Amino acid sequence: MTALSAIALSEDRRARAAALVQDRGLPHRRIEEWKYSDLRAVLGEAGLSAVVAQYLIRNLPHGMDVWDLSRPDAPAWVTDNFARETGNTMNAASLAVADAGIALRVPAGMAIDDPLKLDFTGAGHVRALLVVEAGASLNLVEGVVAADFRNVGFEIALGEGARLEHVRICPALDGAVLVEEAAVRIAAGATYRGHFTGFGARLSRMELEIALEGTGAQAHLSGVALLDGRHSDITTHVSHLVGDTHSSQLFKHVAAGKGRAVYQGKVTVAKGANGADSSQTAKALLLGDAAEADLKPELEIFADDVKCAHGAAVGDLDAESLFYLRARGIPEAQARRMLLQAFLEDAVAEVGHAESREMARTELLAALEKVA
Amino acid sequence: MSSAAQKETRKAVAELGDKYKYGFVTDIEMERAPKGLSEDTVRYISAKKGEPEWMLEWRLAAFRRWVQMKEPDWARVHYPKIDYQNAYYYAAPKSTPLKQSLDEVDPKLLETYNKLGIPLHEQMALAGVAVDAVFDSVSVATTFKEKLNQAGVIFCPISEAIRDYPDLVKKYLGTVVPVTDNFFATLNSAVFSDGTFVYVPKGVRCPMELSTYFRINASETGQFERTLIVADEGSYVSYLEGCTAPKRDENQLHAAVVELVALDDAEIKYSTVQNWYPGDEDGKGGIYNFVTKRGDCRGRKSKISWTQVETGSAITWKYPSCILRGDDSVGEFYSIAIANHFQQADTGTKMIHLGRNTKSRIISKGISAGKAQNTYRGLVSVYGKAQNARNYTQCDSLLIGGECGAHTVPYIESRNPSARIEHEATTSKIAEDQLFYCLQRGIPQDEAVSLIVNGFCKEVLQQLPMEFAVEAQKLVGISLEGSVG
Repeated sequence: MTALSAIALSEDRRARAAALVQDRGLPHRRIEEWKYSDLRAVLGEAGLSAVVAQYLIRNLPHGMDVWDLSRPDAPAWVTDNFARETGNTMNAASLAVADAGIALRVPAGMAIDDPLKLDFTGAGHVRALLVVEAGASLNLVEGVVAADFRNVGFEIALGEGARLEHVRICPALDGAVLVEEAAVRIAAGATYRGHFTGFGARLSRMELEIALEGTGAQAHLSGVALLDGRHSDITTHVSHLVGDTHSSQLFKHVAAGKGRAVYQGKVTVAKGANGADSSQTAKALLLGDAAEADLKPELEIFADDVKCAHGAAVGDLDAESLFYLRARGIPEAQARRMLLQAFLEDAVAEVGHAESREMARTELLAALEKVA
Repeated sequence: MSSAAQKETRKAVAELGDKYKYGFVTDIEMERAPKGLSEDTVRYISAKKGEPEWMLEWRLAAFRRWVQMKEPDWARVHYPKIDYQNAYYYAAPKSTPLKQSLDEVDPKLLETYNKLGIPLHEQMALAGVAVDAVFDSVSVATTFKEKLNQAGVIFCPISEAIRDYPDLVKKYLGTVVPVTDNFFATLNSAVFSDGTFVYVPKGVRCPMELSTYFRINASETGQFERTLIVADEGSYVSYLEGCTAPKRDENQLHAAVVELVALDDAEIKYSTVQNWYPGDEDGKGGIYNFVTKRGDCRGRKSKISWTQVETGSAITWKYPSCILRGDDSVGEFYSIAIANHFQQADTGTKMIHLGRNTKSRIISKGISAGKAQNTYRGLVSVYGKAQNARNYTQCDSLLIGGECGAHTVPYIESRNPSARIEHEATTSKIAEDQLFYCLQRGIPQDEAVSLIVNGFCKEVLQQLPMEFAVEAQKLVGISLEGSVG
């Protein structure tokens, strides 16, 4: 049980995490950030188990360092970056409980084309750490495997000028309750691109805590939720801590049946972070009378010389576009699929890694056959 | 924006030797309830107002509920804990009861209104505006009663309505903002001292703009206004609310409740200019403004429109909302919120779409300067049966200086596939080139800022009735004095 605390995690740090969870309890809908994802209601009496989930490395590119977090005497690159304070309840929960986890590193200056493929499996809590050192670059393809309940605490650190593309594709997982927090720290001149495509679960929550820590740091987030029933919640918090930092967000959601698509995005510009540039777009289409879309694009700005904009829209397919296609002899079902595909495509096009992009496209097309 | 009006205002401010034009205290003998809040206080207020038993019971039920409630803490406002036992809940000038004509009114009171720039005599002459002036909780002068009577419009203090029209009050009071709605609304339900009641009968277009000037006067008295406006089928009414408060150092609590009911084909237009004492440049003093305002579009094709210009108060906590219950009903919210120095504003709206073909429109302009924090917090919620609901929201924030904050927290919830909701928001600062252009043409910096900000707010200012629009433009200028440079 205490294997993790033997190394990267001090007893003190673990105790603090446990106290935080004890104090706050399971997140539920009366907690503002969890308004649309009632974790307590779906987990019920079972609550947070002390079970440990697992990870599986499907492809490890040559040149990367790997460290099993349950081993003692972790190297400095692990201890320097692991278990940073966040104040996030679920992140604390995984720190308090998990005694399995993986740390990975791309050494400084190394550019890797071959993608790192990492899956999280099993039920319970698990930790992961990925360090991309200065000037290095990597593609990360994250896979999600079904589980009754899993909570992943993921920490990512990008050194100066580093590049990371992170693609996570989550299949439709009917009975699963999946929670993941990715805390990403981005140094000067570094770029993080994150793409999150999901088909929903009983409760699915992907939370991104992005810190733009150095001048010229960039974060570009995109995602698609295509739900035929089920629930999907993407919650982001991008902090522009210094000036001349850039962030963009583009999320497209489609909910059919009893699907519930949630997007909560917060952009914070710290005092004095002049020259911050941020954009945020979230759009949702509802295809069924029982479907629901909830959008909350939030801005929190403490500096005056900034460019911040957000837009959000919820609606149905454009009747005129549909008519246009049908007037040209395209059957309605096919016309709807074409329009839905077009609606989602600009978020999919954000994926730079070709193999992942094609995979996302293929799965979206297959799912569209069913909903429209 | 006429710079003549600007100069005139500036001169008036200079004459008073202070930035806050309305910071003076009228010395009139006051009658007060004992300090503190208990069932006895509630009974005292009810007895003072000569209320029937049912009203007292209503208040007591609210009080018993309030005792168990917790003060909300979700808004982005920070203030020292309020000691609810260290305040007076009732204060009335001793020169009551109501007078038959203005000549009988205490001349000191009339003088106060003159200083505020709303001389009643002049108002009467201007025609088209009837004033029900509230001076620390008790209505002292009501004009244009006759003309309104002819039209069948009831426009009177709510205490009078409780006595004279108990059936109407019983039917509508607390139906839009329930007694248990929230901490401040429940407090208001228990201790409200007075306010305004308006009833516009079927098919009547109210012949004039109705207007109430609120004024907080006696030291340490929170003011708890209760306003109820009912527009019966096919009627129309435009209501203006304007506020100023005298300057003092203690923070004053204001927890008003406004309820609007629009039945079939009725329309209510509610406009506010709020200019209460915002505290001084170091954040000392100022009014705490915790207000619950809600309109219920109960009937088909009804419409409720809120327009607000919020420049005053140390803290503003206010979300004028519309429940779009009737099919084809329309809700609108136009807002300008200006926060300077240490002011904190957390304001916005809720549009609850319940009926078919309901439409709503939200235009919010937030301006932050100095060390102020300004938050737009809003909800657009479309329920499953709201076929073809439509919403458009635009939230713009303007920052002046690097010490202030501008925040936007919109919630969008849709449960109907035929609904269309659009939301846009931008945040920017006053463009250097615009400022330079004005300065280069000899317009002083303060006036240039006022000009640019008035342009930024134009869409909202246009919604105000003419008399208010002029006052509001002046206020925009005064509120931002010295914020640049």
